[in-house]
Amino acid sequence: MKIATIQGFKRWKRVKYMRDYIVEIEHLNKAFPGVKALDDVSFKLKAGEVMALVGENGAGKSTLVKIISGVYTRDSGDMIIFGKRVDELTPRKARELGVAMIHQELNLCPHLSVAENIFLGREMTRGWVLSDGEMNKRAKLILERFNINIPPETIVGDLAVSKQQMVEIAKALSINARILIMDEPTSALTSKEINELFEIIGRLRDEGCGIIYISHRLEELQRIADRVTVMRDGRHIMTANFSDVTMQDIITGMVGREIKEKFPRVNVRRGRKILEVRNLNAGRLVRDVSFELYEGEILGIAGLMGAGRTETTRAIFGADPKESGEIILDGKPVDINEPLDAIKAGIVLVPEDRKKDGLCIRLSVRDNIALPNLDMLVKSWSVIERRKEKNMVEKAIADLMIKLPDSEVEAGSLSGGNQQKVVVSKWLARNSRVVMFDEPTRGIDVAAKVEIYNLMNHLKRQGIGVLFVSSEMPEILGMSDRILVMCDGRITGELDIKDATQNLILEYATRFDSRTGDAAIGRAI
Amino acid sequence: MKRREKQNYLKRMLAIRGMGQVITVTVGLIILCIVFGILNPIFFSGRNISNLLRQIAPILLIGIGQSYVLITGNIDLSIGSVVGMSCMISATLMTKGVNPWVAVLITIVCCITVGVINGQLVAGCKLPAFIATLGTMTIARGIAQIVNNNYNTDSIGSAAKGFRDFFYYGKLLGIYNTIWITLVLWLIFNFILSRTRWGRYIYAIGSNLEAARLSGVNIVSTTTYAYVVSALCSCTVGFIICATSGMGTMDAGNTYELYAVAASVIGGVSTLGGQGILLGTVVGASVWGVLQNGLQFAGAPVAIRNIVIGIIVIISVLLDVVVRKGRPRRKREKEKGKPVNYTGVKA
Repeated sequence: MKIATIQGFKRWKRVKYMRDYIVEIEHLNKAFPGVKALDDVSFKLKAGEVMALVGENGAGKSTLVKIISGVYTRDSGDMIIFGKRVDELTPRKARELGVAMIHQELNLCPHLSVAENIFLGREMTRGWVLSDGEMNKRAKLILERFNINIPPETIVGDLAVSKQQMVEIAKALSINARILIMDEPTSALTSKEINELFEIIGRLRDEGCGIIYISHRLEELQRIADRVTVMRDGRHIMTANFSDVTMQDIITGMVGREIKEKFPRVNVRRGRKILEVRNLNAGRLVRDVSFELYEGEILGIAGLMGAGRTETTRAIFGADPKESGEIILDGKPVDINEPLDAIKAGIVLVPEDRKKDGLCIRLSVRDNIALPNLDMLVKSWSVIERRKEKNMVEKAIADLMIKLPDSEVEAGSLSGGNQQKVVVSKWLARNSRVVMFDEPTRGIDVAAKVEIYNLMNHLKRQGIGVLFVSSEMPEILGMSDRILVMCDGRITGELDIKDATQNLILEYATRFDSRTGDAAIGRAI
Repeated sequence: MKRREKQNYLKRMLAIRGMGQVITVTVGLIILCIVFGILNPIFFSGRNISNLLRQIAPILLIGIGQSYVLITGNIDLSIGSVVGMSCMISATLMTKGVNPWVAVLITIVCCITVGVINGQLVAGCKLPAFIATLGTMTIARGIAQIVNNNYNTDSIGSAAKGFRDFFYYGKLLGIYNTIWITLVLWLIFNFILSRTRWGRYIYAIGSNLEAARLSGVNIVSTTTYAYVVSALCSCTVGFIICATSGMGTMDAGNTYELYAVAASVIGGVSTLGGQGILLGTVVGASVWGVLQNGLQFAGAPVAIRNIVIGIIVIISVLLDVVVRKGRPRRKREKEKGKPVNYTGVKA
């Protein structure tokens, strides 16, 4: 009875709030050198709703929210926040208005404590002196309110990435935000933490907050979004109640054309065994990993955040040290102690973070493609043969249909999808046998994703073994021929694509073994 | 009851970030002192200790300034030249008959100007700190040479006796004034760095510039503040040198900026920013001073002294790299995503 009344009250409150707009934007324009980022965009947000903001990369979502949070200034257009016209907005001013933003990249100071980060820029002081005790106490209350179990004195750099993300969220929420902007907040979270986050979002919505939620993961929007705004090429395409539109409508709005087949699967007859990994051990997150990979096969590796998938690929590639285990390529055992050994053997890795680990972003595309292949391009005295280099680069670019003005442009200036292609092409120039993709489609738009899928198919047809690590269940199911599921550093399941379902994968992915912890430590010692 | 309070206090002290490194270096410092004491017992004489402290004081002062700048993630190469500039400007004014204290004031204003320019170039114009302060380093040295037409000054004379006593020769409670000045400045700047908003911002922008900016921290004024502190410390050292020799020397403070980096880094300040405490700088400067003084007493020629000190700097940082490598793997995984700390200063 009591609960019913409270819920009734909450609903009443929400209905009351739902009447007023808290953000009203009309005819907003913003240009960066060479790009029109926002073109006559109008956008409205009500109190007490979750507005999903979707669009491909470069659609202008981030620019829009950065203008609302004061990071960028607009070129023209009207902006009304809480019924008041806002002319000039700085991050500090926006925060005073009650606008909080959780950025896509982690924006915390790793050397400072959790409490120091939460109160950064608005420290509590007594006279000139910081009141650290007071701030720790307050931070503790804030963290408890959102069920985040971290002591406020912990140094942020010592926390796992997902925990850092929760701190970032707590920081944004701690200013009593009434407009909350989240840019891909779940990309580093585990499913349990995502659930917690959604619970928090629901609670804030019921309290009358307006929430703008940007995400590439359309599936998760179903759980929280009230309305959805679709943007494309800096323009506003549509705004609708989430319940009135289908996923297909949203995707159509985003890409502006029908995607008939989301995953372009090709069928290739499975050939000989190329790679066999036997009892690989490397640290806590790679325990007794064994599997086989065949010619013309895409082998998916599914699992939750922190299951050890990235660590497995890195150990095979020789980027991290191994403790034990055998790697057998084409029937012959190979000894891989560092990446150079793996490259020479023909096992290559397309890493998770292409900007950090995959490319030298300040160098040209030509330099990037040639870099791992210089041994084949030099004559005596290590002089690079220009013509050979040019031929190799041109062939690589043509093979993968990389779109560029010419091969001298900076790799960092390319779009995410094309960057990914450059990473792959540098490896294909030297007849690699096994290509390991680690989250190749993270943070790139729908059209570019399809190109990456086509690229994987291209490799598959050539008889190259493809190892495909991904956290996106649909793409694992859509592209792989066989799926390995990892949990806590072990392979907990192997599924043929015919039998694989999301439920089954999730079941294997959460099959934690209470004994492995001790066993792993025992072995490590 | 009292004992428990004491324990709590001790616990709190140990919990301060960077304290681990400071304690390690302190142990090293004590060992050094013992070794030098054994090699030559005069090392422990009251007279030498008093001298030693007076030798450490200038290094500590510039170390404080450099630590401020290093913690913001920048570097100040102009320190040595500002020392020279301060020495020459004050001395020239005094030889021209200006009241010593007026001369001191004018000099302070000049030095602060250099600090402000450094801060504006680095944070406002977004020049790399290395380049910007390399420029001001050369300019400041040029100014030091030009103020007295490319000559060292004559003696600053008897009118400046008060000045010389205040900065070098005078004693209070049996301790040289130089040491008192250093102590007072250290207390002030340590308080600001560890207990005030300004200090917190200095750590924040060194730790993650973008995060600090998005949290409403004013990057330009915070960076400028750090450079001004550095310039002020260098300025004071300039006075001390001027008071010591009783004249202005054009190349006073030559390469001091690098001594300052060494003192900071030995004491656990990271050259990548965000990390370090001024207590560490005290220990770092002491290691430096003790080595200089102790090797001299042990009869080592200057060349050998330089080589030994260089080796100690490298070892102290290398030791930290080794310690970090030895840490369990799991801990290192958590640090993924943080910039690799090439200097190996504890991160």
